[in-house]
Amino acid sequence: MLTGKKITKRFGGLTALSEVDFEVRRGEIVGLIGPNGSGKTTLFNVISGIHRPEGGDLFFAGRRITDFPPYKRAQLGIGRTFQIVRPLAGLNLVENVATGVLYGRKQGAGAREAREKALEILAFTGLTEKARRFPDELVLEDRKRLEIARALALNPEVLLLDEVFAGLNPTEIGSAIELTFRIRDAYGTTIFMIEHVMKAIMSTCSRIMVLNFGIKITEGTPEEVANHPEVISAYLGAAYAAC
Amino acid sequence: MKKAPLIAAAIVVVMLAAFPFLSPEVYYLSFMFSVFMYVILASSWNLIGGYAGYLSFGHAAFFGIGAFATAKMAALFELPPVLTILAAIPAGAIAALVAIVIGYPCLKIRGPYFAVVTLCFAFVVDLAVKNIEWLGGAEGIWMRIMDVQEKLSRSIMYEVMLILMVATLAVAWWVGRSRLGAGLRAVRADEEVAETMAIPTANIKIQAFVLSAFFPGVAGGLFAYYLTYIHPDVVFSINISILIVLMAMFGGGGTWLGPIIGAVILTMVNEGLSTFARAEIARIIYGTLFIVVTIFMPDGILHFFLKRNRGR
Repeated sequence: MLTGKKITKRFGGLTALSEVDFEVRRGEIVGLIGPNGSGKTTLFNVISGIHRPEGGDLFFAGRRITDFPPYKRAQLGIGRTFQIVRPLAGLNLVENVATGVLYGRKQGAGAREAREKALEILAFTGLTEKARRFPDELVLEDRKRLEIARALALNPEVLLLDEVFAGLNPTEIGSAIELTFRIRDAYGTTIFMIEHVMKAIMSTCSRIMVLNFGIKITEGTPEEVANHPEVISAYLGAAYAAC
Repeated sequence: MKKAPLIAAAIVVVMLAAFPFLSPEVYYLSFMFSVFMYVILASSWNLIGGYAGYLSFGHAAFFGIGAFATAKMAALFELPPVLTILAAIPAGAIAALVAIVIGYPCLKIRGPYFAVVTLCFAFVVDLAVKNIEWLGGAEGIWMRIMDVQEKLSRSIMYEVMLILMVATLAVAWWVGRSRLGAGLRAVRADEEVAETMAIPTANIKIQAFVLSAFFPGVAGGLFAYYLTYIHPDVVFSINISILIVLMAMFGGGGTWLGPIIGAVILTMVNEGLSTFARAEIARIIYGTLFIVVTIFMPDGILHFFLKRNRGR
């Protein structure tokens, strides 16, 4: 459903992504891992249209979207969250989410319908009691939920989750994992997620891609990836890979 | 809109419309005329500056363009004075057209750079008009006056400006509650995030900018006709540009009521000071007021009191 072919992205002399191929199929939960600076978030920025790639092509639901501006990609059904949460300041939670509903894939909703839908999504993500609060009054876990709620407001076909588990404690991670599954099951949303928390990625993803220095080094089931020598050497150094 | 505020607004409008029939002094009609005008300017500016957070410091340009377009149309087509009032509407359309041309490149620039670019735009328009002989050049343009008593002509202008103010505020009200308004608020909060929320940011910014230029254009046309003589120094004055921004921010940008409060209070204070105090002292008090409000109420008077109520 979402495919990238030989995606290359450079920042000046630095090649952040080098001819990366990937594919996410409908209904999957796919993980994207790699050490810091390996190009994970850059890849998400290329997919959502914030960065233009220097080479390669992107396809979504059979259409070439390489030249589409970000808002058009979102309209087509590519939703995303940001690693460092970026709620719309000055707007309460309902307004944050309702704005997404108004511009999302099912357009034509009136203001009242949008609010109702927003409240529904906030209930789904466990934020009902804080619906009238402002983002700066929330703890990190709830802000991460708000990122997800706002992305869900678009009614996306594929959701790019950028480290929604980072900085959460084990209990919070447990409920975030549960939320990830619920999103796929209730909304039928395909999920592509960047994650460092191994517990989260191992238990949710059916397939994992590994990036290192902007190059895709391997791809496979969680077990295959975890035991892959190149992955071990990327994370722990070459000495450990030999063991 | 809930019923109570709508009825309240209707009552205020009816009372304002009835005012000239009480046969007040011409001074009060003129004073109210400028209150209406500044409410229009501040509320229009608020569409781009308040909701979208794009601080335009060149809005006098649209006001002046409207004024000159009206004066030139009146002269070219030898319009009778009453029709000149109507010529302010196509003049507003011309201002809106200029906003499209200017907005397309300028709205790609964010933050303080946008403020500087719009400021320069106003200077360029001012200079251009002064140097175009066809537009009266540095001498300005005279217009024909209405062939009636002063009080009647002032009353007519009062009512016309009132109509324009009601129209502007109705549009501002609609924008605040519409999908467009929601998109603009998202742009102000975080433009990049807004894009990833499927909001066509470039498109809606232009829409807001065009709306925010149209009404000042029409107001400029009415003002030209009201003055009967216009000069670039008057209608393109940087003071007007800055006053518009201050009024909207003073009352509370990004809200419907804020610019209205700001424009009413500041016009009254300005008028009161110049009547009761010497000009230099009036300026000093006026300036001090701005400093105090900016320090203690950075989000404007309205937000200051709303937050108090909410206990936040």
